[in-house]
Amino acid sequence: MPFLELDVLNAPDRSILGIDLGTTYSLVALWRDGRPTILRPRGRDDGRIPSALHFPASGAPLVGWPARERAAVEPGRALLSVKRLMGRGLSDARADLAGVPFAASENERGVIQLEAGGRRYTPQELSARILEEVWRVASEALGEAAPRRAVITVPAYFDEPQRAATRDAARLAGLDVVRIVNEPTAASLAYGLERLKQGTVAVYDFGGGTFDVSLLAIEDGVFRVLATAGDTHLGGDDLDRALVALALEEARPGPELAGDPAFLQGLRLAAERCKLQLTSAPEAELRLAVPERGFPWKRSVTREEFERRIAVHLERTLDCCRRALHDANLTPGAIDEVVLVGGSTRIPAVRTAVERLFGRKPHCELNPDEVVALGAAVQGHVLGGGTRELLLLDVTPLSLGLETMGGAVSKIITRNAPIPSQATETFTTYADNQTGIEFHVVQGERELAADCRTLGRFKLAGIPPLPAGMARVAVRFALDADGLLAVTAKEQSTGASASIEIQPMHGLTDSEIEGMLASSLANARADFDASRRANLLVELGTMQRAIEKNLPLARERLDRESRLELEEALAGARGAESVAAVAAVQKLRDRLEQAALPLAALLMDDVARGALKGKNLSEV
Amino acid sequence: MSAPDPCPHCGAAPASALVCEACGELLEARRPPGPFEVFGLEPAFELDLAALQKRRLALARRLHPDFHGTADAETRRLAEDSSASLNQAHATLADEFRRADWLVKQLGGPREEDERGMPTAFLQEVLEWNEQIAEARAGGASADLEVLRRTLEEERARARAALRGELVPLSDEAARLRRARQHLNSLRYLERTLRELGELGLAHRTP
Repeated sequence: MPFLELDVLNAPDRSILGIDLGTTYSLVALWRDGRPTILRPRGRDDGRIPSALHFPASGAPLVGWPARERAAVEPGRALLSVKRLMGRGLSDARADLAGVPFAASENERGVIQLEAGGRRYTPQELSARILEEVWRVASEALGEAAPRRAVITVPAYFDEPQRAATRDAARLAGLDVVRIVNEPTAASLAYGLERLKQGTVAVYDFGGGTFDVSLLAIEDGVFRVLATAGDTHLGGDDLDRALVALALEEARPGPELAGDPAFLQGLRLAAERCKLQLTSAPEAELRLAVPERGFPWKRSVTREEFERRIAVHLERTLDCCRRALHDANLTPGAIDEVVLVGGSTRIPAVRTAVERLFGRKPHCELNPDEVVALGAAVQGHVLGGGTRELLLLDVTPLSLGLETMGGAVSKIITRNAPIPSQATETFTTYADNQTGIEFHVVQGERELAADCRTLGRFKLAGIPPLPAGMARVAVRFALDADGLLAVTAKEQSTGASASIEIQPMHGLTDSEIEGMLASSLANARADFDASRRANLLVELGTMQRAIEKNLPLARERLDRESRLELEEALAGARGAESVAAVAAVQKLRDRLEQAALPLAALLMDDVARGALKGKNLSEV
Repeated sequence: MSAPDPCPHCGAAPASALVCEACGELLEARRPPGPFEVFGLEPAFELDLAALQKRRLALARRLHPDFHGTADAETRRLAEDSSASLNQAHATLADEFRRADWLVKQLGGPREEDERGMPTAFLQEVLEWNEQIAEARAGGASADLEVLRRTLEEERARARAALRGELVPLSDEAARLRRARQHLNSLRYLERTLRELGELGLAHRTP
């Protein structure tokens, strides 16, 4: 249950941020002037903030864009998709950890800990860093401190520990999570589909790292999730890998180069570039360049060839769609609207496949990267008391139950039950004078507890000694509107009751969170400053290199004043490493940005006149 | 059904046990309300499902925690609990099988585990159907499955009609409740078997 304080005297800010905490990118939006608006990082025209962290040899970790830029050069110090580790144990995350360049261990309750930058971090703490950056971007965009209350989205397929880990990350970042919403559900809110009097919507969300499909019924402004299906390991990265595989097959870089992380990272970026170009062009170049190793390689890839290589992945997404339709007892023809979410849905082959399956043109009017954050802001508006017009009734993606004798599962709340949901089941003792019962709480669809996910174990003690089968223990499951579970047990025959708190498996206990908060509060200012300064230095470096590269093209055409100002600002930027105060570094950055404007204007004119043929704006 | 207590906030007589729709206040039930009380309906087997859905949405707009996000902790807890009760009540009433099951139990009829009996003729057919399905699983023709599916659907329609015959009008006569339970048992078997057939059919179609 999210904790939310209402301070009437101080007239609290009722606005609530909408945050899409994504696997590869995160976005933040807020309801303003009657509609949801993306809060973009300064100086960027898209709202994406990489969910990336980079741990330099010394000093504070980088977060967001600077982290992503450093990761391209030093992949061995970067963590690119911490979301995959949220709420998982070492054994479930083995495949994902293979790509993580840090030593991983697990505490006694199955929480992963990564050794990075000279200390241990749980995924919750790392996600908290990303959320802090998201909040900072929001504040910068707003020009004032952003609201601390937030709606955060998660994949529809996230199980309870993953949702709890997300909530805990937000708490560690100093945010109040007012509601956790499924990503596809948020997307349909962004499209304002509540105006449908009655209809069925399919939301096809093909992002960087995950795939989800949700089927929703809309009726008089009420959204109801009929079914969800998905694959937590299927995304745009897989499509990049199809091109990486092609390059490795044909270029044969040799074992030494193929094992070099920097080379592989470069190859991955080349594959991504090629993929993006194929969205608008029928043919694109896949180019590898390692000049110092004498390894130039390029080859042209046609859209058709790319589509053949990714067909198997597209088919997997369609299988998920068919499964969801089957679960909801619907035929593809029963779907009235289809919504596309996630960058991968820009690929023409994806749109065609979706259109063919559902027999109608999908919605893609909004930027598919931004749809989820926009919808989260809409939900934030509802929760802040902004409107009663719209009501979202969500369902739980996975069944919840208890292990019974013999290792089977007794399902107590079944998959696709609307939340909030509560159910009680009665259990009894199997031995005479048994005074305690051990409960094993699991989540999943499989018949055996061993095949499901363990949420926790608890023991109910203090049952009065009775013959076997006489005690009646009622176990109550309460799943709240965020999909978070509370379990209580009560012995009924004598009225003796005990309520228990599960030690969360793969999660943090309240006292752990309090401990982390206390220690981070003590270091918060220093941590935040160090991290901010490191981020600013990377940004400055990027700007500085771009200006130095382009200045010779236009130096003579700049008026004297602008040129002098730019050169002074550049000199300041070069000395930024030795400046300790964050505010001073920020000033240097802002000055350089300002001073570069006349140069940027000249270069843009050049582009417009075609003087820089074949280059686009982002390259100059 | 006993008449509901007046709303402690405004004195109106609330239709639903969960919320007073006159003043919008959530109601704290003394005991968990039954599904019909949640909707303010007289217990009955025959229900207008479209009206039930409309009513459910209207109540959800009053009860959902989203609309109590800025209220005190006690109200927020009540909103969670009441929304859960509403969801549960709706699940029970919207499904014909679960609605009948609840009514039979409520009127003092046998529970599923108390009544194992099914008509002998029906049992004999069950054995035959099971055999056909086992054959199909081993790789038999799907055309036979289509015939079997139609047979089972007809059987299901018959069992439903028979169930309705026992529950409309509603009475607590033991013999009728016992027969209703037997039809419910047949229906449970038929539903499960039809689902299995559906999955088999799906496996035949998709490679």
